[in-house]
Parts: sequence; C-alpha cells; structure tokens
Amino acid sequence: MEELILKLKQEIIEVLNLEDIKPEDIDNDAPLFGEGLGLDSIDALELIVLMEKNYGIKLQDPAKGKEIFKSISVMADYIQKNRTR
Amino acid sequence: MARVIRCIADNVVSPLGTTSRANYDSVRAGKSGLARYESMGNITTPFVLSRVDRGMIDGLCAELGIQGNYTFFEKFLLCSSVQAVREAGIDASSERVLFIVSTTKGNVSLLGQPEEGIADERVLLAKAAAQVTRYYGNPNKPIVVCNACISGVCAQIEAMRALRSGRYDYAVVIGADEQSPFIISGFLSFKAISDEPCRPFDKDRRGLNLGECAATVVLEASDQKKSGWELVCGAIRNDANHISGPSRTGEGSYLALMEVLKECRRSELAFVNVHGTATAYNDEMESIALYRAGLIDVPVTGLKGYYGHTMGAAGIMESILSMYAVRDNTVLATRGYSEQGTTYPVSVSSGTRECKGSEFIKLLSGFGGSNAALLYRFAE
Amino acid sequence: MERKGLDFVVLNQGNAQLTELYRSQIGDWPKFFKMDTLSKAGFVASELLLKKLGERRCGSEEFIQSRAIVLFGSTASLCADRNYQETIQNKDNYYPSPALFVYTLPNIVTGEIAIRNHWRGESSFYVLEAPDAAQMAFHLACAFQDSVTESILAGWVDSRNNDDFQVFMTLIRKEDAADTDWLAGQLQLIINDLNK
Repeated sequence: MEELILKLKQEIIEVLNLEDIKPEDIDNDAPLFGEGLGLDSIDALELIVLMEKNYGIKLQDPAKGKEIFKSISVMADYIQKNRTR
Repeated sequence: MARVIRCIADNVVSPLGTTSRANYDSVRAGKSGLARYESMGNITTPFVLSRVDRGMIDGLCAELGIQGNYTFFEKFLLCSSVQAVREAGIDASSERVLFIVSTTKGNVSLLGQPEEGIADERVLLAKAAAQVTRYYGNPNKPIVVCNACISGVCAQIEAMRALRSGRYDYAVVIGADEQSPFIISGFLSFKAISDEPCRPFDKDRRGLNLGECAATVVLEASDQKKSGWELVCGAIRNDANHISGPSRTGEGSYLALMEVLKECRRSELAFVNVHGTATAYNDEMESIALYRAGLIDVPVTGLKGYYGHTMGAAGIMESILSMYAVRDNTVLATRGYSEQGTTYPVSVSSGTRECKGSEFIKLLSGFGGSNAALLYRFAE
Repeated sequence: MERKGLDFVVLNQGNAQLTELYRSQIGDWPKFFKMDTLSKAGFVASELLLKKLGERRCGSEEFIQSRAIVLFGSTASLCADRNYQETIQNKDNYYPSPALFVYTLPNIVTGEIAIRNHWRGESSFYVLEAPDAAQMAFHLACAFQDSVTESILAGWVDSRNNDDFQVFMTLIRKEDAADTDWLAGQLQLIINDLNK
C-alpha cells in the first residue's frame, strides 16, 4: 500500500502539473479538493483519466469521483480494490 | 453619428434545411436534427449529435456554383454566405464590405486527417477565412472571432461596431463549426455530453448535445429610416472566475444582460433566447443571471434541443431563428424541456407560446468565462 | 509637445524564459504550471506589463468592468490543439485529456488574465493572418464603443509549438484610440520588436 500511495502521489503531481509539490508535501488524509491541494473540476476529470490509463478503472459518473478522490488514502484504497492493471 | 445597423439578409444551413425559412418551419413543426451515435472513429462512448450530410453540402455547393478545393468547413461557410450575400444584393468585392467569420475550431479536423490538395496551413483560422474573402474577391484582410461558444454573438457585435465606425457599409458575418472527433472527444472527456436528446432547464438534464450549422447575417449601416431588424446593442463580459465552469452567480451573463437592458424597451421584449446547453451548471447559472437581471418573468426559449450546440454558428443561427419567431409572434418551444430544474423558475415551456413585442435578447456563455448578449429590434 | 508612446512588453525567447520570469517576477500563481504555452506567454507578459505600469491590483472582493482584454494572434490555439490531438489520435492509446482540451481555445488566455486580475469587462480574441497594426488599431478603437470600457489590455500572442511563442502586451487608454493612425504607428513599433 505504501508503494501504491507513493506512486499515486508522483502520478498526481505529474498529471496535474503540481510543479512545486513533492510527494512528502502531500498528507495522505488531507482533502484533495477545496482546501488541501485545492484541486478543481478539471483536475477531477484528469484524475478520472488517470484511473483508467494507469489502473484500468473506468468511472462514468464524475459525482462518484468526488467520493473516491476525497484523499490520497481513500483513492489508494479504491484503486487497490478495483484495479485491473 | 449613430447609424442604424440593420440585418438585410440571413441564411441558415443545417440538418433542418438550407434556408432560414426552411429551418424556422422545421423547428416550428418540432423537428430536430439530433441522432444518437454509439461510436465514431476512436470514440466508443455514445453521444448525441446533429450532423449535416456531407453529400447535401456538396450538392448545395454545386447548385450554388461554388467550385474549388475546399474543406468541409470552408464549403459550409460558403454555401451559407453565398445565399445571404445574393439575397442582400451587395457587391461583396467592395472594400466597403467587411467579412467576419465566427468559429471555435475551423479546420481542426485536418490535424487528425490531412486532406489531399489542402495545404497544412489551412488549419490556421485566418487562412481558412481567407478562402472566403478570396472567393468573393474581397480585398479586406480576413478576421476571425474565436471567443469560444459566444463567438457568434461577438462577431455580430464587432460587425455592428465596424459599421458604426463609418469605414464599412456592409458586414457579412458567417458562423460555422464542424463537429469532428476532436471536439466530440473533448466534450466527452469533460463528461459534459448526454447520450440522449438534451433537456434544457429540465430537472433531469444530463448534458449537452453537439450540432453542425452554418449561419450568415448581412448587416448594413444606414442613415435612412426603413423597416427591418435593427441590431441595437451588444455586450461581452467575463466572469473572472473559472476557465471552463460558469460563475455560480452568473456574473458575466448578468452584467452582459444589464448592459443590453439599458437600451431595451421592456414592454417590447418578446423573449430571451438563452444558451440553454442542458448541462447542470450552465442552465442553473443562466436562471440566476436572468433572475438577477429582473427577467425571471420574461419568456425564455432555447434551441439546443433542435440543433444541439453549434459552437461558432450558435450566436448567429439562434439570433436568426429568433427574428423569424418574433415576426411570427411565437415563443418557440424549448424542445427537451419538461419539468423545472433550476433554482429560479425561468419562464421556459415545452410548448409554443404566443408573444407580442418587437425585441429579443440573445444570450450566450462559453469557455474562458466568456458571456455575451445582444438586443435586436424590429422597426416597422 | 510629443505624445507619450504606449508602454509595452515583448517576449519571444522560449518556454524557459517564461518559467524563469514567472519564478523571479511573479511567483504567486501556481496555476501557471497548468497553462499551455499560449496562456503562459499571455499571462506572463500581462503580469510584467502591469508591474511596469505600477497599477494597483483589485482587492479580493473587488471586480471591475472598465478594463477590457482584447488579444489577437494567428496560430490561435494550434499548439494546444496538436497536444490534445495526440491524446486521441491512436486507438490503442486513446486517453482524451480534459486539461489539454480546455486550452484548445485561444480566448482561454483572456480568461486566465481576467481571473487573475478580477476584470469582468469585455474579453475577446481575434485571429488574423499576421500582426497587422492598422487592422488591430481599427478593432481596438471599435472596442471603445462599449461605453463601460475605459482601457484595454491589448496584445498579440502566438505559439507554433510548445517551446516557441511570440507575445506583446500593451495598455490602450480611450484617448490612445481616438486617432487610429497614431495608434497603428505605435503598434507597429511594438510589432517590429516582436520579430527581433
């Protein structure tokens, strides 16, 4: 799980162009949207692409995304359970 | 020198007809060009699209005597504008005539599929527009309004200003967009597209549909009193909030509306033709803007349920159909609407309604936080 | 008495220049790193111009309508278009990117600037074949027909590929546009610098 969490953080930093942020700056349980990393609606859509591209998980409903992308921990947990890659 | 800016000719080419009149009659009869596609090219997610038959466009071009090596997008611009220019009876080769093109993506399909005999540079919007000015022998440099989905309204506003300056006597404003996999896939990636015919303002709306259309208005600057449609004023305002989502409080739309309302005679306002894309956010935002502008009781009509979102053509086509509707004392049904689904209850209907009045407002919003409104008035 | 010329900023030295300028002169807008080259170029040039002019910035709840943004260009979003096209070209690697798609409209540059500065006035983008000073001067003068517009952030912004761009930004006051010949002359001086 540790490995997945680190990998996920690196992927998110790259895909969302979070230039000045390092994995150690991202708290596992901090909210990704709103405060925390302050991601927005386009970032949420990119995370949906990331889920499919890197882990083979298809999310049709962006509303479901909001729950899954609550925090790195929640996201990693979901990926662990549902990944097909 | 407040010259009157008058629309002296118009044309719409779409799956619902090749003239404005044919389009209006089709819409009045409740017809739509929308169809569901299960896939297209690399796209495997279903979507709804109103697509123009390529053979029909080629046939129309042949009928109109338009010959040459043109892309579909360029043929689209030509077959609509040629009809309008002929109806206007103007000398399009005159330097006193300004051509303005409105489009979001022009020949972008060339990126995915280059065409034989078409130079790569045609993917540049002004180069595509130059095909049009060259066709007419017009000496003025091409100009393309590329302001996202509000382009069609912006192009009319810019034409109005150019004519008011006194440098030109006529403006030919042409809007069109081709719905290539580029655009379709993009909106699908935004999860913004519905897989069923769209439902503007409806509580169960699930997203937008896309559509293809080419539309033209020919505007003249005149010091004479004549009967006809006058473009009174227009305004463009930015939300200054987000590059893709509309402002939750409808800032830009509200400001644009307030600006055109300065010249609007409320008792003469027949209806507001809205953007009404049927996304959760857009329609909600428009209802708020209309409420804030004091227009919540004014009839509202949306055409996306007949045509889908026609991007660069929308502002022009939707203005033209509004002109025909006002003259027909009709508020066109908002096809796809059934039950109120916005915070403020806009006066939208699934059926046609009668209206009185000689003015209408056209409202649009687009990516980049852009919003625009214009006011047309019919003078007897 | 000689009339004061327009203040302006010209940039055309590649992506590294934009990043370096952002870090050294701006630094407080992390969204910069999400932008495509066209938006980065427009954003940085506008920031440097506003700094040069020493303008007061709007407060957090303050928004103004009197400042319009009118930009011109010939490539429009072609560079971003190509980037996005890559994500949909190949059936076996088909992953359309919303973050790339959003930049496939040149007016997004005006949106980024409007958001940064709290400007709720007009925002427009016109595509021309080339930076023609007379053509630009005419349309900028037209923009002042909106009675609310008192000044315009005007500019040219082009990007042919991710590392190549040309941008100039200038501020036009209403009185600057009263004589379009003079304005065209001023714009031509700036355009001459654009190609150096």
